[in-house]
Amino acid sequence: MSGFFSQAQQLQAPDVAYQAVLPMLLVLGAACVSVLFEAFLPRERRWGWQVALTVVTLAGAAISLIVYGNDAPKAGVKTFSDVLTIDRPTLFLWGTLLLLAFGAVLLIADRSVEPGGAFVAQAAIRPGTLQDRVQAAKVGMQTEVFPLTLFALGGMMVFCAANDLLTMFVALEVLSLPLYLMAGLARRRRLLSQEAAVKYFLLGAFASAFFLYGIALLYGYAGSVKLADIATAAAGTNRSDTLLFAGMGLLVVGLLFKASVGPFHTWTPDVYQGSPTPVTAFMAACTKVAAFGGILRVLMGAFASTNWEWRGVLWGVAIASMAIGAVLGLTQTDVKRMIAYSSVAHAGFLLVGSIALTSKGVSGTLFYLLAYGLTTVATFGIVSLVRDADGEASHLSQWAGLAKRSPIVAGVFTFLLLALAGIPLTSGFVGKFVVFSAALQSGMAPLVVVALVFSAVAAFFYLRVIVLMYFSEPAADGPTVTVPGAFTTMAITIGALATLVLGVFPSFALDWAGAGGFTF
Amino acid sequence: MSALFLTQTAAQTAAQAADTVSTGEAIAFWILGPLALAGALGMLFARNAVHSALWLALTMLNLGVIYMVQQAPFLGFVQIIVYTGAIMMLFLFVLMLVGRDSSDSVVEVLRGQRLAAIVFGVGFAGLVVSAVARALTNVTSVGLAKQNTVNGGNVANIGTSLFTDFLFPFELTSALLITAAIGAMVLGFSDRNAKGVKKTQRELVEERFQGNRPSPLPGPGVFATANSVATPALLPDGSIAPESLSELIESTAKESLADDLAEVSGTADGPDAHALSGTKEDLA
Repeated sequence: MSGFFSQAQQLQAPDVAYQAVLPMLLVLGAACVSVLFEAFLPRERRWGWQVALTVVTLAGAAISLIVYGNDAPKAGVKTFSDVLTIDRPTLFLWGTLLLLAFGAVLLIADRSVEPGGAFVAQAAIRPGTLQDRVQAAKVGMQTEVFPLTLFALGGMMVFCAANDLLTMFVALEVLSLPLYLMAGLARRRRLLSQEAAVKYFLLGAFASAFFLYGIALLYGYAGSVKLADIATAAAGTNRSDTLLFAGMGLLVVGLLFKASVGPFHTWTPDVYQGSPTPVTAFMAACTKVAAFGGILRVLMGAFASTNWEWRGVLWGVAIASMAIGAVLGLTQTDVKRMIAYSSVAHAGFLLVGSIALTSKGVSGTLFYLLAYGLTTVATFGIVSLVRDADGEASHLSQWAGLAKRSPIVAGVFTFLLLALAGIPLTSGFVGKFVVFSAALQSGMAPLVVVALVFSAVAAFFYLRVIVLMYFSEPAADGPTVTVPGAFTTMAITIGALATLVLGVFPSFALDWAGAGGFTF
Repeated sequence: MSALFLTQTAAQTAAQAADTVSTGEAIAFWILGPLALAGALGMLFARNAVHSALWLALTMLNLGVIYMVQQAPFLGFVQIIVYTGAIMMLFLFVLMLVGRDSSDSVVEVLRGQRLAAIVFGVGFAGLVVSAVARALTNVTSVGLAKQNTVNGGNVANIGTSLFTDFLFPFELTSALLITAAIGAMVLGFSDRNAKGVKKTQRELVEERFQGNRPSPLPGPGVFATANSVATPALLPDGSIAPESLSELIESTAKESLADDLAEVSGTADGPDAHALSGTKEDLA
């Protein structure tokens, strides 16, 4: 037997900078523990344990991130044989993801707004059957949502840090698969929710296929999946550029789909509307952060030297995204769909910052992601409060005269909408300002003008909601505003306060976002 | 020394062989390629879902053999064992379980969608094929000769890169598998037989003997006038026994019971000599 083993050659295991990747390992490890909780705890005790575990994990990951970030090498660390890069933008993105996930987890864990939580008690029961009506009244939810959230978060963290396309692809799947599932677990309007899940799954699978095909073509071009190798190959060879640009095009389509940019947005309104609102908040805030983290890294890492050829295309995509978001957002009658189109418009603004390809562009986009994510989480928190007998009253006409029923909720929602519109003294204004000024500096003045026009158009539909809430008479059988429990209150407070603080004193967050550049 | 030299020579010959396409490889390609293409087209155009799956299996088998011809035996066998053998066959099981008669709907929900899909699909395919074909003219191909000879050969090299260069993505796929397993259970498992959902035999018995009626409920009153289970049983004094009425069935209206009640209590009219039949009810 020893003879058999001695034939094998010793493998040199890759070095791991455990301290640098600790936040990510904590999240993924806690996800596995959380699965064990599901397996071994009795049903009625699961919710408490899962919430405790998730919150402790997020806090622990944040602490380890802060401890590491204080004396992290400025140049960044590459680990696991260079498949992960922990540089300053990665640390900022991880921090943003953990903060936003904390807000989303608070909304997910809430059981006061909807008795029993926003999630179905048993997803396997077919909608509309007798058992389904029984379970609608039953308290209790599918607590598998918590491990799924942690897995999705872990995938997003890897996605931001991935330094080669293969790791990026696996991370993309790890972050998407739990989201597909969670989209279908709403307690109310289950058919809509399941339709959203199927749509997201099918379109997401197509987008993954595009992404993978792009990787294959790029591998054919550069002979490697590492971003740095692709950049080297693109910088000085006489290889056919066809493979490079075909590969890049397909790769970017997959990324833009996840970020719900421009013509690749078609899933966004349906999925945002159908998913349980806490999941929508998680998806809208965190997925956007991860996807734009990936876009920034890929564009800067692999394709910066060839930007002359592709930048025009992404100009067009950014304009299309802003136009679609702003114009179609005007015609929406559902609050969640309206915010979905607003997120498409915001994705266009973020893309403007991403294709600046300067350190200012990177830091501006990172700040914008943080500000937008926090505002979005709070917005969906408010959306979940306005309810009638059928659950959330998301039709805009039901929001008429909301200020007369609940001045506080209407006031906070107004503030958040103003932040989304980008009015001064909110984080949205600062975000737009830094992104557009970075774009101006890298010579994209016409694009900035177009972006300003579309932010004005988009501001109109936010103002329409505000006018509706303040200046119309409430309907007699209108919805009521639920008094939220501690969890939802906390999530909304964090989001709204951060929107204010980042709008008035943005400099500390801008410093963090601009602390250093990407390392490849 | 000589062994080393021999290995080197073998590697060199293999490397040279990698650059040229031998006759055997060309023949294999021209047989397998059209077959794979036929499988793909068959999958698209087959009406029956099972036939579609089998056509796809044909394509996968051919691709597996092509991999083997192109010096990647491990990949070829994995393709055949995992994809064709396991995944496609599972897929067939599912098709059979769902029922192979369930064909897809031919109603176009979005008008003109099919035409647009065909135009864009063919256009995209043409674009990609022509781009790749054009690009391949000045791409230097790298054979697998080196990977197949040095360091323990094909499989050993794959294993090495899985556990060194790609250790992290490889480990990360476990997260994917766990998620898939949870998803299948969440969406597929409903505990109809769990505690509290359905009463056990023991619970039923205890409930019955601790209740106020251990004996069975009285059966329905099936008399000469009616043989429906909706007819209530009558107690000796002529009143209705409420326990005999089923909760699920609408019981007989009270008016039509009046004669039965009268008969039992002895207040009914006697037979009418002028009538053809016995009772007033039949005259009405």
